[in-house]
Amino acid sequence: MGNKQTIFTAQQLDAYQDCTYFTRKEILRLFFRYRDLAPQLVPLDYTDQPDVKLPYELIGSMPELKDNPFRQRIAEVFSEDGEGNMTLDDFLDMFSVLSEMAPRDLKAYYAFKIYDFNNDDFICKLDLVKTLNKLTRNELTEDEVRMVCEKVMDEADMDNDGRLSLEDFQHVIVRAPEFLRLLLFDFHKHN
Amino acid sequence: MTTQLQRQGSATAVQGTGYMGDQGSPRLQRVPSSRSNHNAPQFNWSPASTAQEDAGQEAAVPPKDLRGLPIPMALKRAISQVQQMQVPVLSSFQSWKRSKAKSLSRGRKSIRGFLNYIKLWRKSLNQIGGNFGDGVQSYFLFLRFLVVLNFLSFMLIAGFVLIPSIVFRSVASDPVNMTGPAECRQYDHNPAALVKFYSYFLDFLSGTGFMEYTYLFYGYYNNTMVAGSDFSYNIPLAYLFTAVFYFAFCLICITAHMGTAVRVAVATGGGATGSYSRIVFTGWDYGCLGDRSTKLKQKNLHYQLQVDLEEDRIKNEAASLTLGQKIFLYSSRIVLSLVAFGLIIAAFFAIYQATIFSQSKIDEIGVLGLIYEYLPSIVITAGNFVVPVLCDQIALLERYNPSITVIVALLRSVFLRMVSLGVLLFTLWSQITCFQGVSGKCKLCHYNYESYPCWETRVGQEMYKLTLFDLLITIAMLVLVEFPRRIVVDSSSSKLAQMVGRQEFVVPANVLGLVYGQTVVWTGALFCPLLPLINTLKFVIVFYCKKITLFSNCRPAAKTFRSTKSKVFFLLVLLFGWSLALVALIYSIAQIHPSMSCGPFRSLSSMWTIIPDSFYGLSQTSQGFLFYIGSQRFSIPLVLFFSVVMCYFIALASVYGTSVNLLKAQLKLEARDKQFLVKQIEALSRTLGVAR
Repeated sequence: MGNKQTIFTAQQLDAYQDCTYFTRKEILRLFFRYRDLAPQLVPLDYTDQPDVKLPYELIGSMPELKDNPFRQRIAEVFSEDGEGNMTLDDFLDMFSVLSEMAPRDLKAYYAFKIYDFNNDDFICKLDLVKTLNKLTRNELTEDEVRMVCEKVMDEADMDNDGRLSLEDFQHVIVRAPEFLRLLLFDFHKHN
Repeated sequence: MTTQLQRQGSATAVQGTGYMGDQGSPRLQRVPSSRSNHNAPQFNWSPASTAQEDAGQEAAVPPKDLRGLPIPMALKRAISQVQQMQVPVLSSFQSWKRSKAKSLSRGRKSIRGFLNYIKLWRKSLNQIGGNFGDGVQSYFLFLRFLVVLNFLSFMLIAGFVLIPSIVFRSVASDPVNMTGPAECRQYDHNPAALVKFYSYFLDFLSGTGFMEYTYLFYGYYNNTMVAGSDFSYNIPLAYLFTAVFYFAFCLICITAHMGTAVRVAVATGGGATGSYSRIVFTGWDYGCLGDRSTKLKQKNLHYQLQVDLEEDRIKNEAASLTLGQKIFLYSSRIVLSLVAFGLIIAAFFAIYQATIFSQSKIDEIGVLGLIYEYLPSIVITAGNFVVPVLCDQIALLERYNPSITVIVALLRSVFLRMVSLGVLLFTLWSQITCFQGVSGKCKLCHYNYESYPCWETRVGQEMYKLTLFDLLITIAMLVLVEFPRRIVVDSSSSKLAQMVGRQEFVVPANVLGLVYGQTVVWTGALFCPLLPLINTLKFVIVFYCKKITLFSNCRPAAKTFRSTKSKVFFLLVLLFGWSLALVALIYSIAQIHPSMSCGPFRSLSSMWTIIPDSFYGLSQTSQGFLFYIGSQRFSIPLVLFFSVVMCYFIALASVYGTSVNLLKAQLKLEARDKQFLVKQIEALSRTLGVAR
């Protein structure tokens, strides 16, 4: 590849390096993965910052997201319009947060957003039920779902308002040191 | 409501309560954005001059903090552009300091990256953790810790005992004056001249024959005390000090390793509370690829939640038993505990008999002789297989809830393995010293010189055989049991095969095997100085064998181990084994008479006496200094000082615990206050609105 790439200007690449946890090579690699999803839509020249958005169906077909039960939520959380259609900026953002080097607080913030299905900045009981069903592929009975949700609320809800705020969520995460390893895309595997 | 208040003063620096960024992060406010509503932090656009009004605060945000902000990329790029335009006004000293800090942090990061890169087996461990979870990975991490520990111990022993012995053997040394009856000093270690070719292999396996009189065993080392003009080296003293320091070094390593794990466990408030929220929020592995592993992970989570629910149900049931049922339950538990205990005692008796029988048949040759030699190891291993299985069944009958059942069965296994080793040592000791009697065979030399002309070598050989047998059994299990089981299960479609299924990797039993092997090495290191090296090689082979069997033959376990707690548990069991070995060491050094025919301590009445002997060879000032340290005038204030330090740390720990609880309660109170205030504001605005 060398230093002579014509996709981004030098300032753009520097700005991307400042705003994500990736090196130049990794940013370019990610750009080509983005482009591979729809070569006819994504131009090879980003110097004039074209406004290109890939629809959710293409994003959801990526190997990292294809089988993930939370893929729709992930795409919605990171996309600008909240519908799952991602620009290159959103794409890089997503991979940066889900990379090895992102700190725990950043990941916790986005994980909270992912589990907050109705986007009201609180995880209420309905959000919990939906999360649980996605986690266990709807195999728990209604009773079990109800009991687990009650127990989770008991354990995590500090201010007793019947829903979990970001602080409550972070409190749970602090006690689980393996969280960092779990919210991770291993994108090196595919190149 | 609250957002309107905040929107008014955008220059006021209100700390955003949602997002905990790193230190020196920009002031955040809660303002709704297009992507998310209330909780999104927003960057404070006010110029750097207001920031400088705060005492000693950094003016502009260093660029790397941008990446940790949870805001959309477009905003981040805008911020970085603004930052580049805002050139802070700093004195030259401050800018020099900042550039030095930057290069220092970059240097530290590269060193950390390099250390991470050269860590032993890092990629394999990541693979294992990703595919099989934390519990299995903790076993392999423990194994790696033991490999490094053994290797460093071997370096220690080689440096202070092995290499000086090799060097001074070539230098002719005058023999120390030998006292004592002539029969005790006889030691025939030369192997027979004409031997069958396979006897070399048998000798390798049992440490006898050509292997007996080598650096491997205690008997080969001489009691050379070299004293040159400016250099003196006392091999017996070095041997003893190295053995003691080896134990101290292992203790320090284990406690240091445990310290980090305990700190994590204390800071996170223990893993027991919050198990449901943990499973729900940190259960999903986003790196999981592929349909099959996703389904597996979902089944895994389902199983975990079901097990936890079942445990709670059992707890509720147990709390609601009638008195008669309770009495029946407790009495049945006592009876079953006695049955388990009886099984363990039976195993000990079998080991005792086997050892006596094996020692009596020491002169057999050929394959039969080999079997007699290995009889104690065979009986111990058989006991370690059979008794835990029976104990598991008994624990099931006792009807504890699942987590306590696991712990009870585990403790019984630990007791069985460690004390069976103790029984073996006790039997050997009774044979060697005739039960500390002064009659019969032990009268002449204070030990049984006829059967054991060099008893330390014999003990070293037993430990060597145990280690080797452990390795052979591991490999044999891999080849003869695990692979065939997988082949049978995969190829046959009968109901029985499907019910049995592929095996699971059972972490606790494997960890106990490692602890047992390490305890054997600790016990035998005094008599077989190269045993740590052999153990390093053995554990490396075990690592690769277990990794192969894990990836080829095992299925991911349905129930996973809680890893923070288990690391502390493994290290505690290891410490228990260490203390057992320490008891054996102290007894051997202080009480038993060393053999008069071999070894570095052959002219002494006990191994310990080398220290007083060489002590009187020191100069007067050193003697006076050491006497002073040992005297009451010095040691009692020292003990008092250390007790004061310990009390201080205990008080500090309890204060931290109380403050953690207080802070948690305060958090709850503040959240309730916030709710109350919001309700007040709403009520007030409603009345104001109505009044208008």
